[in-house]
Amino acid sequence: MKRDADLSRRLRRERRQVALRSTLLQAVWNYDSLQAVGFAWAILPGLERIRPDPAERAERLHSHLESFNTNPYMATQAMGVALRMEEEIARGAAGAEQRLTRLLRALRGSLGAIGDDLFWAAWRPALGLAAALAALATASVWPAIVYLVAWNGLAQGVRVAGVRAGFAAGAGVARVLQDPFWASARRAARLGGSFAAGVALGAGAAWSVVGGGEWQGGAIFFLSVALLWLAGTRVGPRGRLLSPALAFLGVVVLLGAIHYLSQGAWP
Amino acid sequence: MSLLEAGLLVVLGAVVFLDQWPTVQSMVSRPIVTGPIVGWILNNPADGVLWGATIEAMQLAVQPMGAARYPDAALAGLLGTTAALTGIHGGAYPAAWAVAVAVVAGWGGDAVGRVQRRWNARTAAAVRTRVAEGSLAAPGRGIAIALARAAALGAAQTAVGLLVVLAGGWLLAGTPWAGPLDVGDLRIAATAMAAVGGARVLGLGRWRAATLGIGALAGVALVTWGWAA
Repeated sequence: MKRDADLSRRLRRERRQVALRSTLLQAVWNYDSLQAVGFAWAILPGLERIRPDPAERAERLHSHLESFNTNPYMATQAMGVALRMEEEIARGAAGAEQRLTRLLRALRGSLGAIGDDLFWAAWRPALGLAAALAALATASVWPAIVYLVAWNGLAQGVRVAGVRAGFAAGAGVARVLQDPFWASARRAARLGGSFAAGVALGAGAAWSVVGGGEWQGGAIFFLSVALLWLAGTRVGPRGRLLSPALAFLGVVVLLGAIHYLSQGAWP
Repeated sequence: MSLLEAGLLVVLGAVVFLDQWPTVQSMVSRPIVTGPIVGWILNNPADGVLWGATIEAMQLAVQPMGAARYPDAALAGLLGTTAALTGIHGGAYPAAWAVAVAVVAGWGGDAVGRVQRRWNARTAAAVRTRVAEGSLAAPGRGIAIALARAAALGAAQTAVGLLVVLAGGWLLAGTPWAGPLDVGDLRIAATAMAAVGGARVLGLGRWRAATLGIGALAGVALVTWGWAA
């Protein structure tokens, strides 16, 4: 108990500063050192407290400038781990420096896989889909506001909580990553997204029959779906970027041309 | 478009460029959010919402993982919505033109983002050298420089994009390419895009296929009861 309370108190102010600074993690993102400059700058307040001597601090800071990259919202867990291990290095624990290097290398992949899968592949498309559908139906600004609140509630919450979780876990950070929360959140987001896609499918089909009227009927919707599907709205984990956008352009051009023809306005 | 509106759009371009990856990533840069803001600036918030949602549907599939290259959704949303709203005529949009602008702006923004990342590599190398010499302020200074550069690039690409949008809209006015599309048809096409893109990106396992089917029934029921008709 005493150890937990001690951990919770240690570097509390600095951990808050690290969480705040982590918002600029990618400010100097580049193809060589990736997020390293942002990572080093974010943990600097903690290093200042751990290493009062500027020369020693600069040496430790330099060791964090080599290369680092992971999901930006999950990176704070690695920052918390780094601070905890830096304390051990400062206390002279045997092999702590090598352990920190190995841990950070391993964490990049693990945090990236969990974070990318949750945030980029599940949460954002699910929220975007639901918000786009609600906005198309209502023409109201509220779906955009709810989208922002829902996204930031999870993403910034994970970011802020990450420093403390990583600091408390230290070298045992694997426990945090095995928490069922990550799998449950991902599953909930994917199921929510599938439901929203279903609503779009059903609403679009019914809408084109009920609201389209005249010649359009259901043809617009089913033609659009068929074209988009055939033209390759298939999306891999790295994003097939070109085909969905071009397929949509094709659909819109086609609809515009049919409009022109139907109005007898073709030059 | 007045000078004040153009100025506000350029400022918005800088803000969304910063939000997209160099700073918070609060998703203010997503088309679903930039659309209504552009609509508000151009005195047409309701149509801005509609176009924001349409361009968001185009970008649903994009996943910015690792060092992947992906279109600039922020610039696509900003310029695509501007192209639609500045060319609107009698309740119909120059839809093909607006979607084409969104597609090309996405590629252009990606190219500018890569330039920024290459410049960042030089900044990062300079930071490493200075820290090796004992400077503890170098990372903070490097970040300030990179952010200022990002804001300038975001503003510049938006300004150039606005010129192209206005000139292109003027050249294409009255041609089939800028042919009109009414609100109803646009909604239907965008909903189809959202449904197909969403279903594909989220995958279709057994449970997800079931929720997709339940959702489809819910969607039909909602429209039949008059919610969206």
